Amino acid sequence: MRKISRRGFLKLGAASAAVLTVGSKFTNLAGAMELKKVGQDFSPITNRERKAIPSACWQCVSRDGIIGYVEAGRLVKIEGNPKLPRTNGKVCARGQAGVNQVYDPDRVLYPMKRVGKRGEGKWKRISWNEALNEVTAKLRELRDNGHPEEFMFHYGRMKASSGKIIKSHFLAAYGTGTIGNHTTICEGGKWVAQELTWGKHYDINDVTHTNFILNFGCNLFEAHTSHVPFAQRAIKAKAERGVKLVTFDVRLSNTAAKSDEWFPIKPGTDGAVVLAMANVVMSEGLFDKDFIETWTNVTVGQLTSHLKKYTPEWAEGVSGVEAEKIRSLAVEYAQAKPGTIVSYRGAVANYTGVETERSIKMLDAILGNIDVKGGTCKAVGAKWKNSFKKPKGHAKKLNILNGFKGDAAYPNHHISHRVLKMIKDGRNGRPQMYMVYCYNPVYVNGEVQENISILKDEKLIPYYVNVNPFYDESGSLADLILPDATYLERWDWEDMVSYDQIPEYYIRQPLVKPLGEARNFADVVCEIAKRLDINLGFNSAEEFVKDACEHTPGVKEAGGFEFMKREGAWYDKKAEPLYKSYTKKLNPGDYTGKDILFDKETGVYWNWKKSKAKNREEALKKGYTDTKNAYKGYVGQKIGEEVFLGFKPDKVNKSGKFEIYSKLLEKKKFNPLPTYMPVPEHQKMKSDELILTTYKVNVQSHSRTQNCKWLTEIYHENPAWINPETAAARGIEDGDRIRVRSHLGKILTRARVTEGIKPGVVAISNHCGHWEYGRYASGKIVNRKATDVDASLKWWWRKGEHPNYLIANSPDPIGGQLRFMDTVVTVERV
Amino acid sequence: MKSSPLPRSNLYGLLSLIYNRELTAETLRELKKPEFRETLSKLNIQLGGDFFNKPEEELLLDLTLEYTRLFIGPGRHISPHESVYREDKEDKGLLWGEATVEVKEIIEGAGLEYKADYKGIPDHISIELEFMQRLTKYEHEAWESGDREKACRCLEYEKLFLESHLDKWVPLFCDKVMEEGKLTFYREMARLTKEYISLEKRYVNELLSDSPKAGQIVD
Repeated sequence: MRKISRRGFLKLGAASAAVLTVGSKFTNLAGAMELKKVGQDFSPITNRERKAIPSACWQCVSRDGIIGYVEAGRLVKIEGNPKLPRTNGKVCARGQAGVNQVYDPDRVLYPMKRVGKRGEGKWKRISWNEALNEVTAKLRELRDNGHPEEFMFHYGRMKASSGKIIKSHFLAAYGTGTIGNHTTICEGGKWVAQELTWGKHYDINDVTHTNFILNFGCNLFEAHTSHVPFAQRAIKAKAERGVKLVTFDVRLSNTAAKSDEWFPIKPGTDGAVVLAMANVVMSEGLFDKDFIETWTNVTVGQLTSHLKKYTPEWAEGVSGVEAEKIRSLAVEYAQAKPGTIVSYRGAVANYTGVETERSIKMLDAILGNIDVKGGTCKAVGAKWKNSFKKPKGHAKKLNILNGFKGDAAYPNHHISHRVLKMIKDGRNGRPQMYMVYCYNPVYVNGEVQENISILKDEKLIPYYVNVNPFYDESGSLADLILPDATYLERWDWEDMVSYDQIPEYYIRQPLVKPLGEARNFADVVCEIAKRLDINLGFNSAEEFVKDACEHTPGVKEAGGFEFMKREGAWYDKKAEPLYKSYTKKLNPGDYTGKDILFDKETGVYWNWKKSKAKNREEALKKGYTDTKNAYKGYVGQKIGEEVFLGFKPDKVNKSGKFEIYSKLLEKKKFNPLPTYMPVPEHQKMKSDELILTTYKVNVQSHSRTQNCKWLTEIYHENPAWINPETAAARGIEDGDRIRVRSHLGKILTRARVTEGIKPGVVAISNHCGHWEYGRYASGKIVNRKATDVDASLKWWWRKGEHPNYLIANSPDPIGGQLRFMDTVVTVERV
Repeated sequence: MKSSPLPRSNLYGLLSLIYNRELTAETLRELKKPEFRETLSKLNIQLGGDFFNKPEEELLLDLTLEYTRLFIGPGRHISPHESVYREDKEDKGLLWGEATVEVKEIIEGAGLEYKADYKGIPDHISIELEFMQRLTKYEHEAWESGDREKACRCLEYEKLFLESHLDKWVPLFCDKVMEEGKLTFYREMARLTKEYISLEKRYVNELLSDSPKAGQIVD
């Protein structure tokens, strides 16, 4: 039989169209075959209806709105929630793989008590009742002895309502202030720079309306703290309006690759380029005189003279970026106004990070790009209201949160990577009970080996509880593991900042019940509170979220809790984007009153009663800048004859001006104006030494997604990126086994020889090398026989190497940031 | 009717109990009774000297730690859940997969329900064995009351569940336990389980082919 060719079929198909037009009245199927609205879905295999439940992601701190599809009680799929403008209904690979968090075969499903020696791996399952008896007995003992502060609670990520319930309500009522976080391993230095400059941290690059995106060390298309909202808007600006994106990065990240220009820059020298650009802006007269003279605390003359020494030629010598390029880029950026400068860990997670970030904010300020449409804006987020009263009273704390004396001038976000060292040191006391929540101190900090030995030592830490849905490197050293619910099994209200300058209210609700005996820790603290006779006023996270939905203006009117459970999100569709919040004028009534003082030196109006001043006289005598916590009473800033909201301070007693000149830094013997501070270790490097930097990719978060099978199937190996020139000098070829050594130790890994990295640098991602965290993250399986089903579940064997063994737990001298990007190493072929 | 399904049911029940949780003192005492020991040794199942000679408290702790290490973790352990093993399913290697839903639906379709206080996952090995215990018991009752049709329907159900579930993963699970187990008790129980499932599969098939009427029942 003659075969009909594919082309023949296509011709017949095309010809059929005309026949169908005529014959359309003879069809038997009604309706249009189009996709159902999002929110309804059917399994193509089982035909079961899938229930669509709006909730919120937590795979990274972006916390995008999601919809989970549940079929026969099983979570089968996650998509973005289109009811939230922030992501336009999209979610990244990490977000989709959240399904794997719930169904990780190595999840901890029961409370587990250590039986053998600490770290030996011998465990016994106990009931929740036994576990909580044990925990509350210890908590009661510490409290009754008058030392609740000897209970240290250390969290990694605890946001929104979970943070409020656990920290502001439970821990406050219990009376411990020894509460650690993990911000200095993220971007603590960046936040400190912002707090010294413009007040509350978080900067929104308004790329939707900008004309130019200048990027220092941020991999925004792969790994920003607002990944999807930011990446979507940035790529749209590029694609639809041709907005230029210029990236400075030691490595050709996917962001650098999608940029119009990529400048490979020497680690720790971004600040030099920024200062040189500012020099050009001043010397070429491209600055915004009005903004400088009105809103900052410096004059044009002062700036010009300060920046004089930072010439493009000087910066070229420091950073390796051509002077002419710096000059032309500065002019182009200034003229494209409004532009916005993006910065992240590449620029700030090093010795000079705070100064780099201050320089970056200065450059945007002198161009008048601050908090304007298309510029670099103050963040706008949801403001939830709960009716429950927060406990009052002074919580005692151990002074172990901010590192050693002299570690950092302004550890506004604590220095989490110094906590274990402080405990080891012991001079400021030691917690008798150490509890970690969503935090893996062994793995995420530097000096991994020391972290292990401290946590293992029962003399240093007598009792250690790990709250965790998974068995991670730190959990393996615990005395008790309390199985936490994953984020897809719990309640929260959420408040992440908006990329449209409009507050977005959204909630997280359980898509499925917690697996096994896992329980949401925010619920567990409600029970612990009861056992300790503490009245929180609520009994569960659900009740807390419900209360907020019924009390938050806007959400309440929209339909409160029932509405939010159904839709997942609410925002005011008529809201105008908020820009230039600092220009809000205050009425005399706002800044007059018996407790409000005017500080002549700074021009700040402040309420002394909210500070730590004992009385009015003391407040007047010490003044705003020198009174502890005076910033908490900040009311407004006098400029000329008027009083404005200004740049409201947070965490430090900065004035309401945009402080390019930092008196606070001057007091601590740092240069008050943004300055380039070279990384000391880089100044005395030997010819064979290299600089190690770390980075993140698009399908993993720092340490908490490697158990997700779908993600680790894509990314499970992190060979060290090294330039061909650097590699050749060491006889290294692509794929070779190499040894990377720092003063702390060595790791064995593989070389990826690529032009996509600056010579003299070696880059290893943060994501790999788990030795616990389940079979997918750690590569551990029960046995490796070819017939073993576990072995056939994954086709990859390597698990990569963890670079943190090589990185010191040392802080940057201003903000205390862990210096992930400036470690000196040697590399050799094995 | 070759043999009463009652002993079959009881053996399923015993195995379900073994995997259900850490052994209790009472269960242990029953297992150590001479009658039971004799039966086991006739089957060539040797639980080892320690099992009968060690002081009870010590043995109980050993067994508890071994159960935990093998089947709970935390960390590296042998998952006692079917979906983790089902390579033929798209979502293999994860908890609560398609196979779990199937198991749950078969069990619920048979008119049973998971107790409200059951906190485990629906395809835990002890649940699947308990379901077989219930099916065979139901079959036994049917034979006893002379309801051949119902008994055969039970057999069909047993065959379905054995072939489409237990046999798809329990032998793999048992192999691992035999290889990884440090205590003879769990290694031998795994061997017993594996052999029993294999025997049961053959037996149910034989029985159904011997019974032409049973073969016609399609429900």
